[in-house]
Amino acid sequence: MTSLWWIPVLPLLGFVVNGAVALASSSRRARRGERGGPLPYGERLFHGLVGVGTVGASGVLAFAALVPWTQQSLAGGALPVVETVFRWMFAGDFSVDVAFRLDALSALMLSFVTFVGTLIHLYSVGYMQEEEGYGRYFAFLNLFMFAMLTLVLGANLPVLFIGWEGVGLCSYLLIGYYYDKDFAVAAGKKAFVVNRVGDVGFVLGIFGVLALFGTTDFSFLEAARHQIVSDTAPLSVYAVCLLLFLGACGKSAQVPLYVWLPDAMAGPTPVSALIHAATMVTAGVYLVARTSTVFVLAPDAMTLVAWVGAGTAIFAATIGLAQNDIKKVLAYSTVSQLGYMFLACGVGAFAAGMFHVFTHAFFKACLFLGSGSVIHAMHHEQDMRKMGGLAPRVPQTFRTMLVATLAISGIVPLAGFFSKDQILGSVAAAGQWTLYAVGVLTAAMTAFYMFRLVRMTFAGEFRGTHEQEHHVHESPATMTVPLWILAAGSAVAGFIWVPFGVSSLLPRFLAPALAEVPEHEMSHGAELGLMALSLGAAIAGIALAVRWYTGRPAPEHAAHKPAEEIVVSPAAAAFCERTGALGTMIKNKWNVDEGIEAVVLGPFRSIGRFLWKGFDALFIDGIANASAFLVELTGDLLRFFTTGNVRNYALGFTLGVLFLVAYALFR
Amino acid sequence: MSVPPAAFLAAGTILFVIGLVGALLKRNALSIFLSIELMMNAVNLLFLTYGRMRGDPSSHVIVFFVIAIAAAEAAVGLAVFVALFRSRQTIEVDRVNLLKW
Amino acid sequence: MTAELLLFAFAAGLAIAFALAMVVEKTPVRSVLSLVVTFFGITVLAVMLAAPFIAAIIMIVYAGAILVLFLFVIMLLNLNEEAREKDSRPVQRVLGLVSALALGGLLLGLTLRAGKPPVEPSALPGRIPALDEIPLVGRLLFSDYLFAFEAVAVLLLAAAVGALILSRRRMD
Repeated sequence: MTSLWWIPVLPLLGFVVNGAVALASSSRRARRGERGGPLPYGERLFHGLVGVGTVGASGVLAFAALVPWTQQSLAGGALPVVETVFRWMFAGDFSVDVAFRLDALSALMLSFVTFVGTLIHLYSVGYMQEEEGYGRYFAFLNLFMFAMLTLVLGANLPVLFIGWEGVGLCSYLLIGYYYDKDFAVAAGKKAFVVNRVGDVGFVLGIFGVLALFGTTDFSFLEAARHQIVSDTAPLSVYAVCLLLFLGACGKSAQVPLYVWLPDAMAGPTPVSALIHAATMVTAGVYLVARTSTVFVLAPDAMTLVAWVGAGTAIFAATIGLAQNDIKKVLAYSTVSQLGYMFLACGVGAFAAGMFHVFTHAFFKACLFLGSGSVIHAMHHEQDMRKMGGLAPRVPQTFRTMLVATLAISGIVPLAGFFSKDQILGSVAAAGQWTLYAVGVLTAAMTAFYMFRLVRMTFAGEFRGTHEQEHHVHESPATMTVPLWILAAGSAVAGFIWVPFGVSSLLPRFLAPALAEVPEHEMSHGAELGLMALSLGAAIAGIALAVRWYTGRPAPEHAAHKPAEEIVVSPAAAAFCERTGALGTMIKNKWNVDEGIEAVVLGPFRSIGRFLWKGFDALFIDGIANASAFLVELTGDLLRFFTTGNVRNYALGFTLGVLFLVAYALFR
Repeated sequence: MSVPPAAFLAAGTILFVIGLVGALLKRNALSIFLSIELMMNAVNLLFLTYGRMRGDPSSHVIVFFVIAIAAAEAAVGLAVFVALFRSRQTIEVDRVNLLKW
Repeated sequence: MTAELLLFAFAAGLAIAFALAMVVEKTPVRSVLSLVVTFFGITVLAVMLAAPFIAAIIMIVYAGAILVLFLFVIMLLNLNEEAREKDSRPVQRVLGLVSALALGGLLLGLTLRAGKPPVEPSALPGRIPALDEIPLVGRLLFSDYLFAFEAVAVLLLAAAVGALILSRRRMD
């Protein structure tokens, strides 16, 4: 078996090569004045091969490593593989190595990160081919894979943190890919800064873990699951958990640190698929699962996690109901689904949370890539009010997106059904009926707004302009093949954990890596009833969406009107009117961004302005100016000593010697 | 010997002070220079006295060097005065004050 | 009153008197000539201090070369009496006089305090060991003070070259 560290390093090499070639090429083009327009075929081929190739090779290595390990683990148990690359820091008793670790959790993450990642890289070859920054795109995407794989394979918290920061950086770089668009640049900055807020918590949490356990290594944290650390004050464990969760909230877009994710849709769609759906945003859940042994020591913290997760889930779902940009709907849907994952972790069902991470990667990536295909077909139109009737025109996109939408809505036997049901089942088994209700309601809303998306996009009559209508075509194979593969994944990924003893591959596999939580038992009947309930809620949501959003007939003159004036569903519009103020709040995304601006950013700006104008300009500059003034003054006074007359100077000498002699004499 | 060394020292000091007064009060550059030469010679006298008091012949060596350096200094200084006179037609120190503030 | 004391009084008095004359004289030539007599007095004092070689050097180099150089320059520049205009800087004169006298007083106090010889005067040889001085000085010059000796030689070269350059006529 080759070393584990090749898995992150191969994409890193891809980044270096692609980056160097892209830099050289762009400076050459700038010198020749060939700005704008797509790159020549040869360059695109090179960038594509390196980009997809390195990630693909990394994936092959990953599977070569994890498949035998998984088989062994399921058969009789396998020890985690820890591979130390080099010793990083050491001071006295404390030391941290750069090391990679293959165990159940990292194997699970590794599997879908490389698989979905390779597919998205392949998709990007087709999607980004018009772009001049093709090489830069692939370089950064490769860098992201390196960081994400470091995060996933890290054997201790500091190495995980390196990856954590790296994915944050790449997120910023890729969101701001269209650097000539102001809102894209601003979105990149927003993502990075909001992440940073979470990172403060994460770093402090790492210190806390170090203080509590004396080590940040995962082997130890896993070993600790067999013993309760009884002599640590519960308050400090609680604080450490809160801090770690704060970091997770930043990365995984929970309330209130979610505001960056909808804005992040300014980046290219494959970026949204990879980073903001399948991989980076799940890092927070991964962190909580990794440190599950710490979390179980603080039940209050876990309650908080569950409530924040549930609250975020329903909150984001409400916003998703009224969004008209296809990518924004998916963004809020991601926030909502992430909430589900934290809800699961909060009630102790860490395995269920990781299960949802796994299935979500497939169907959310499929949805995003599908939306990218739609946007590509609609020639960069993203407003769904201008779409409609696309099903016959982009059939493959339609079918794959339909599968993924059914999966996310939780329809049996697709993947989302099993993972969502596992979560809700665990919540109910733990007796958290309020949270359960929230979860079911959110599931209904999720089904509704996802089918609203599908209906508005694919059903009824076309509402776009005539030029758009002419342009609509199915995407090339490099884009549709990944769609089909991901759709297939959305369909079957759930079968690794089917209740009633049909298949429990996943929980058995993950058990050694997660904390031991007392199982809550539920009777088969109750469980079946709950499944029916959540399925019913989903079907109800779908039915309402289908009924309201027929898309037929198309509103009058829709082809000529701007998007804001098109009303796709009169019934929905009427309902919205009846909800009055509540509806307006939802449409305005609950004014969260404005609230943050007023409460946080406004005061910061005022303080900054004061420090600048008042403090810096007056005080510090004042000191500098005053000292200069003093020097000038002294010089003006002292210059009278330079009379130019030699005799005066001689007199000066004499007086000086006089004083010296007097001092020597009378000392 | 019957002449106390203190007498020599006193004589040297008085000569030094006379030279100093001349250097400070004279306006003619040459006169100032002459006064400086007197000061240096007074110092020579003092050195010799101290050497005699301590029985150390290195004071003679020092005096030797002082004389040599005074010669060099006189040469250069007088050359400067000559050049100065050529350009300013005067050798009075008070008139040479271009470096005034 | 031994002969030595008398000789000392004469030489010292001569030197001081003519030093005062030099300071008071207005004419540059007369100043120079007064200084020559002063140097003669100092020479006698140097002999009395068992430094005949140095005394000869003073007479030859100082009085014989340097002061003659002064005379040359005076004649070259055709300097006459010092102008009789009033001194534009009375403060300088007064302050100069006062400080110089003060310094003199202090120095006198300093030197007289240090004037107690470490060796008893009676222990010093009564006769001037003239024959010993030159070899002693010579030996010192070429051993302990060799570097200074050579350096002064270079200095003299530099001075000569500098004087040459400074007094060149402009090449107009």
